Amino acid sequence: MHPFERAEFFLRDVSETNTESELADALGIVSRELGFSYFALTHHVDIRLSAEPAIRLHNYPGDWVDYYDENSLGVSDPVHRASHMTSVGFAWSEIPRMIAMTAKDHEILMHGEGRGIGDGFTVPANVPGESNGSCSFANPAGTAIREEDLPVAQLVGAFAFEAARRLWRVRSPRVHPAPRLTDRQRECVLWVARGKSDWEISRILGIQHETVVRHLKQARERFGVGKRTMLAVQALFDGSISFNDILKR
Amino acid sequence: MVTVAQSLPVPLCLPALREMFEARKRVFVDLLKWDVPVVEGRFEIDQFDDEDATYLIVPDPHGGHMGSARLLKTTQPHILDTLFPHLCAAPVPRGPRVLEITRFCLGRQLGADARLETRNRLVSALVDFALDHGIVTYTGVAEMGWLQQILAFGWRCRPLGLPRSIDGRMLGALRIDISPETPRLLEAEGIYRSTPLQRLELLEAA
Repeated sequence: MHPFERAEFFLRDVSETNTESELADALGIVSRELGFSYFALTHHVDIRLSAEPAIRLHNYPGDWVDYYDENSLGVSDPVHRASHMTSVGFAWSEIPRMIAMTAKDHEILMHGEGRGIGDGFTVPANVPGESNGSCSFANPAGTAIREEDLPVAQLVGAFAFEAARRLWRVRSPRVHPAPRLTDRQRECVLWVARGKSDWEISRILGIQHETVVRHLKQARERFGVGKRTMLAVQALFDGSISFNDILKR
Repeated sequence: MVTVAQSLPVPLCLPALREMFEARKRVFVDLLKWDVPVVEGRFEIDQFDDEDATYLIVPDPHGGHMGSARLLKTTQPHILDTLFPHLCAAPVPRGPRVLEITRFCLGRQLGADARLETRNRLVSALVDFALDHGIVTYTGVAEMGWLQQILAFGWRCRPLGLPRSIDGRMLGALRIDISPETPRLLEAEGIYRSTPLQRLELLEAA
C-alpha cells in the first residue's frame, strides 16, 4: 500500500468515529501498520471550561503506565515539554537536543529504557487559545523506528488529535463563554507577566495606582484565580496574551 | 467589514494593498524568513500578485491592515502546482470552482486576542466569499503547526498528500470543501462571524 493510502484509510475511519474506543481502535490499527507497537494520545484541555476529564487514549502495557504514574509524568514528562517547543513531530531520541534536560529527565529516560520503553515519535498538537496535547507512537526497547513511515505518522497524529478534540467538544459543549479581559485589564496583566508591580504598572500606563489594583482584581475574578502569577499563566494559556506580547520590547 | 480586491492591474497604486504588501513583508520575510521577493525593500510581492489574484483584507477602523489572504485561480499556474506539486499524492486539484488560499497573513502588531479575532473574521470571509462566488473547494499549503489550527476550525478538510520537510519547514497540502453547511461547522467551533464583504473600488486609487 502507498504510504499516503494508509493515512487516507485512517482518516476515513476516524471521520465516522463517535466514541473514544473507536478512535483508540483506529489508532491501534494504524500504529501497527506504521511499525509501532504502541500509541498514546493526550489532550490537555483547560479544566476551567469543563468538568469533563481530558481525553487520554493509549495502549501502553500496564508496567509502562505504572511507571509513568509513579513518576507523575503527566506534568513534567520531557516528551510533553519538548512537544511545546515545536509543531513538527520528533523522535524521543532527539529530545536532549530540544530542551534543557535536568538530571531527573535523564534518569526518567534511562529508567524508561530499563522498563522496556524504547524510542518513540511524538506529534505535537497545539491549538492556540484552547488546548494542547500530542499523539505519540512508541516501540519497546530494541525495536527501531522506521524513518520512512514518519511522514504518515505526522499526518495521522495531526488528524487523530483533531478527532479527539472534536469528541471532547461534543461531550462538553461550551456552557459558559470563556472569560474575556477588557483591553485595560489585558494591558495590566501583560505588565504583571513582565514582572512589574502594581505601582510600576500605574507609572508605565499613566493611570492611578488604585485603578491598576482594581483592573487586576477584576481580571483575577474573571479567571477565578487568587494570585497574580496564576492570572498571568491563565491569560497566557487562553490566548489573552501571548509569549510574543510578553517578550517583545 | 472585509474588503475584497479583485482584477487590479497595478495593485501597488491602492493604499489598502500597499499596507497589505508591507504587512506581508513583515510577516513572511522578517518573521518567518521565507525566501520570497521583496520590492523596494518594503513590499513582499511575487509573480502571483497580478490582476488574476483576489485579496481579502480585514481593515482596522482607520483603514490599516489587520489581516489578509490571497486567492489564486487553479486554472493557471499557482503555488501548489508550480512550487509544491510533490505535496499532492494525486494530480493537483484544479478548476473554475477551485481556488488556492495563499499568504494568509495576520498583522504582527496584533496582540494575541486581536490576532484570534482577526483570524476568525478572515476565515469566515473566505467561506462567505466562496459561497457568494460558487467556489466549492479551497486548496493550500501549510506548515504543520498552522495545519493543526486549520483542522480545528471545524470545516471539512482533507490532506492531499504526505507532509514533507522542505528547506527546514514541514509542509503539507490540504483541500477544504465548502458547502452551505460550512458556516454552521465553523460556528460550532466559535469561529464564524458573518461579516459584509465590500468590493474595493478602483476610484480609491486616485
